[in-house]
Amino acid sequence: MYDLIIIGGGPGGVAAGVYADRKKLKTLLITDEFGGQSKVSDEIQNWIGTKSISGFDLSKSLEEHLRAQKEIEISDDDLALSVAKIDGGFEVNTRKGKKYQTKTILIVSGSHHKQLGVPGEDKFNGKGVAYCSTCDAPLFAGKEMAVAGGGNSALEAVVDLLPYATKVYLLVRSDKLKGDPVTQDQIKASGKVQIIFNAEVQEISGDAFVDGIKYLDKTSNSVRELLVGGIFVEIGSAPNSDFIKGMVDLNEYGYVVVDSKNQRTSTPGIWAAGDITDLPFRQNNISAGDSVKALLDLYNYLNGR
Amino acid sequence: MTIKIYTTPTCVYCKMAKEYFKSHDLQYEEYDVTKDRSKLDEMVAKSHQMGVPVIDIDGTVMVGFDRDYIEQAVKSGSGK
Repeated sequence: MYDLIIIGGGPGGVAAGVYADRKKLKTLLITDEFGGQSKVSDEIQNWIGTKSISGFDLSKSLEEHLRAQKEIEISDDDLALSVAKIDGGFEVNTRKGKKYQTKTILIVSGSHHKQLGVPGEDKFNGKGVAYCSTCDAPLFAGKEMAVAGGGNSALEAVVDLLPYATKVYLLVRSDKLKGDPVTQDQIKASGKVQIIFNAEVQEISGDAFVDGIKYLDKTSNSVRELLVGGIFVEIGSAPNSDFIKGMVDLNEYGYVVVDSKNQRTSTPGIWAAGDITDLPFRQNNISAGDSVKALLDLYNYLNGR
Repeated sequence: MTIKIYTTPTCVYCKMAKEYFKSHDLQYEEYDVTKDRSKLDEMVAKSHQMGVPVIDIDGTVMVGFDRDYIEQAVKSGSGK
């Protein structure tokens, strides 16, 4: 039986893994891949202690730091599918068909891309509907494009498209942009971007590939059409919490409810940190910090303090 | 066995796939589709979509980087 199973390989999972090893906890970390969601970022300028690093390099450096710990066990290319209560702890079932027993669990499984949920989105996934602008933006050279969203990821998708697309429509649901002012300035200065506020994407259409989208202009309450060669969907994230449903309290959006003082969930023996939790901020540095907080608290719990 | 990979310069999963090939001593040909329009057309024709990476192992075409899928394709291709 493990002392601790860490579920997730982003900054939170790795931070907890490093601390767990130093505390000599018998630990297993289960993850599909290392690095978390910012793995696909071109450049990260706010990972503290590092002026600039690509998401790919950050994920490699996180993995290396974890693997440098002597005792920690890692089941990578794997995913936790369910958790059950057993005598003295929990059992975690994984995609590889393994069952692992543990006294405590730290959930750092993060979140994933939210979809629009409109007609045409699934049908044209990869055929003009895209979710990874760093990967796929160059494929839309010479086309007019749309981006849905108003936060940092949406602004970054616009930035990724600027060198390639002839024009970018940024469709924002609310009446203002939420992303960093620095990036807002950058896209406004480009002269290529038309920002449309109060716009709700309703349909994505085309033949073999996307050739247009329809959106509701909420100001005039009319449906409008844009002829675009594709749309990047960057409307935020949804928690990877399906596997833990029923084991811990989730809020109405599916995020794990925690006590922010110590990261405890509603179930004794289970902690959570990072993007999976009901905190208002989703940041690499916060995930790492909250995860360390959880680890120190669960160490005390294991030692009966 | 011939492995072809269609990439863009900034695509993380392309890098991961290439690192996987290197660490398994697998030779591959890389086509940067941002530099070669005909290769982009070829990639779209093969995969019927516009996402990278596209990996072609002896005619088995896959979209994205999936270790298990590559392993299987390599195994079934190794006898050729």
